Amino acid sequence: MNRILIASLIFVAIVALSQCRKAEPFDETQYDERMSGGTQTAFDGTSHSFSHVFTGISEYDVALHGAGDAGFEQSFITAPATRNSGLGPAYNNVSCSNCHHNDGIGIPTAGDAQSSLLIRISVPGIDGHGGAMPVPGYGTQVQDKAVFGKLPEAKVNITYINHSYSFADGETYELREPFYSLTELYTPINGNYMLSPRLAPPVFGLGLLEAIPEADIIALADISDANHDGISGKPNYVWNPYKERKELGRFGLKLNTSSILVQVAAAYNNDIGITSYVFKNETSQGQPNQSDGINDDPEITDSILNAVKFYMQTLQVPARRNVTDAQVIKGKQIFKEAKCTSCHHADFTTEVNVAFPALSNQRIHPYTDMLLHDMGPGLADNRPDFDADGNEWRTSPLWGVGLFEAVNYPAYYLHDGRARTLTEAIMWHGGEAQQSKEYVEQLSKADRDALIKFLRSL
Amino acid sequence: MKQLLLFLTVGSLFWIAACKPDKQNDITTDIPVTEQQVLDDFANVIVNPNYQDLQQKANELRLAVVTLNASCINSNLYAAQSAWRAIRVPWEQSEGFLFGPVEDYNYDPATDSWPVNTIELDSLIASNNTLTLADIDSLQDALRGYHPIEYLLFGVGGSRDASELSVRKLQYLVSLTENLYNVVTQLRNDWDPNQPNNFTAQLVTAGQGSVRFATRKDAFLTIVGAMEHICNEVANAKMEDPLVALDSSIVESQYAHNATSDFTNNIVGLQNVYMGTYGSGSGHCLHDLVVAKSTSLDNDIKSQISICIAGLLNIDTNYGLAIYTQQGQIFAAQQQINILHDKLDLLKQFVETNITD
Repeated sequence: MNRILIASLIFVAIVALSQCRKAEPFDETQYDERMSGGTQTAFDGTSHSFSHVFTGISEYDVALHGAGDAGFEQSFITAPATRNSGLGPAYNNVSCSNCHHNDGIGIPTAGDAQSSLLIRISVPGIDGHGGAMPVPGYGTQVQDKAVFGKLPEAKVNITYINHSYSFADGETYELREPFYSLTELYTPINGNYMLSPRLAPPVFGLGLLEAIPEADIIALADISDANHDGISGKPNYVWNPYKERKELGRFGLKLNTSSILVQVAAAYNNDIGITSYVFKNETSQGQPNQSDGINDDPEITDSILNAVKFYMQTLQVPARRNVTDAQVIKGKQIFKEAKCTSCHHADFTTEVNVAFPALSNQRIHPYTDMLLHDMGPGLADNRPDFDADGNEWRTSPLWGVGLFEAVNYPAYYLHDGRARTLTEAIMWHGGEAQQSKEYVEQLSKADRDALIKFLRSL
Repeated sequence: MKQLLLFLTVGSLFWIAACKPDKQNDITTDIPVTEQQVLDDFANVIVNPNYQDLQQKANELRLAVVTLNASCINSNLYAAQSAWRAIRVPWEQSEGFLFGPVEDYNYDPATDSWPVNTIELDSLIASNNTLTLADIDSLQDALRGYHPIEYLLFGVGGSRDASELSVRKLQYLVSLTENLYNVVTQLRNDWDPNQPNNFTAQLVTAGQGSVRFATRKDAFLTIVGAMEHICNEVANAKMEDPLVALDSSIVESQYAHNATSDFTNNIVGLQNVYMGTYGSGSGHCLHDLVVAKSTSLDNDIKSQISICIAGLLNIDTNYGLAIYTQQGQIFAAQQQINILHDKLDLLKQFVETNITD
């Protein structure tokens, strides 16, 4: 009797357990593809579409975001001042928002009050942590402005040469090739040096990118192109000066920064000349006659730095538009057929984070694989940055790219803003993306228009 | 029993008949004014005349400073101070619609940044550096525009005497006002329908080929978003920051003691947008669209704007002093402006619901 009972119980248990299934993701078609940032998606197609605070966060967090917003907007002035003190001595701009206009991209000029393009500089070799080797007297960034009594480190010159090309159907397009040089150096540089231009990128969605599980990014890497699809994908492991360890690079145009905190603190330090608890020294420290001689470090409080970091962590992603439009759907298919999706990876799910539910387990569509790729000689800066070589750039996230013209007009694209249209941006691709560019080159006008319309829906 | 049923039935009918939907959703009539008319008049009756006025006031300020430079006496200084106060009116009213070229090309920070970098400004004047227009054009934002001009014309505490204006200060003022005139002219030209690639054309073709506005709804949401933005800016930044810090050195227009006037003109600018007016001109406007659909929402917005303006006028001493002595009036005005912001949220919902193309 007991054996029958036990056997019956085991049978019932097996049947019951066989009904248990691990939760599976929905079929692709079940998701609303407008929700680029998961639940942190903003439905706004206007010039403020990159500037929405997360929803579902506490009143305190909303206030903290607001404080960070104020910090992001605040212009710094020359020390010693009672408020917003500490600009420079050498700097690139006076506030975060002067480069990241409307939380978006900047203007690819240098030297003007509203310029948003900066120049990284280094000499051959690597520093003690595997990063770019600083130039004596300059560090790794050229500050092209200075407070009264100090010298800008150099004047940045940008010139362009236009080249004309044709698609297979005969329609012509033009690419402007940029050339960067330094003049009026405040102190000579011995030997060769390398320059790398960087245009201020949009700052929304960074919290979600930071929350992508590292393993999911690494799973997409294929450094030696083992699958022979012509696409490699390389993570950049970079030095975190705050935690004093190497970490996966997630931010910066060559993925040379691992966290939002370091990104923000480095921008304060290098771009505005503001010291903080992360970067305690002026970039001009030790440079001939460039120190302000004022013992006022850190120049921003910990709470302001943390608030600005939180602000950038909690900016929503704009929703896609016109996703059911037939031309957009066709363009999406062409995007896939051209193998753009090999690098511009559409879907990630952020890691579970019980401490911050707004960032947790979000299905997002950034259209980046968070990896480095060889983009060919046309885009190469020929300046290594940790594991990124001189041909490699990160896959730029494409979410929001269709709103660049609404948020920052005129819009500029690519790492240095050389492209004035999405078509130009595509046609600058080379290296691992050469086959994709050639695919687009052969498309009919109707298919090219569909592809652009898809990109404009992002 | 039948009588009871009859009574209940009739009573219920009366009760149901007495029920009225929420006034906010009350549809009174079809919209008689078209959305296109409102966009056209927003550009042609409000924005363009506002920026034309701004350009004219910038020219008057420039000429007043030229006169002051030629003859540095108090009467000319006071005339220049009046010209400075006069230009603040159209500028602050134009902040009711801070979108388009003013944000694309950063004309706002280029002309209206504060606090002034007084340390650097004083050093510059004390130096032998040239102070030509080209020199001023290349300065950082906190060294040019309205507030450095204000700093030189009014001085700390607003007690400037013409005898304090050195040759260098006057040189700097001449170049500063020239620079301001040029920036303002560029802003005006960027909207001017007679100029190539003007922003007016982008706005009035919203949803019909405009690169900037894919739909008319986007254009209206931008306009309402700008109205909300200035409410937030006034209540929660311009007024709030010096109040919380109890620091009069971060008050806008602190040297001329013009802050409360600035705040009020911001709200007047918002009112201009809603009511379709600028100066003596008037046209089709958001008010027309709203009143046709919901008189209650229209009344709410109009009356709340008036309450905000009255609340700001209740602060009857200069704002740098009021943060110490009139905190109650400041709190009350902030609260009303935040309520207006909430009403504008309803206006945004109205746009979402009623403007579909």
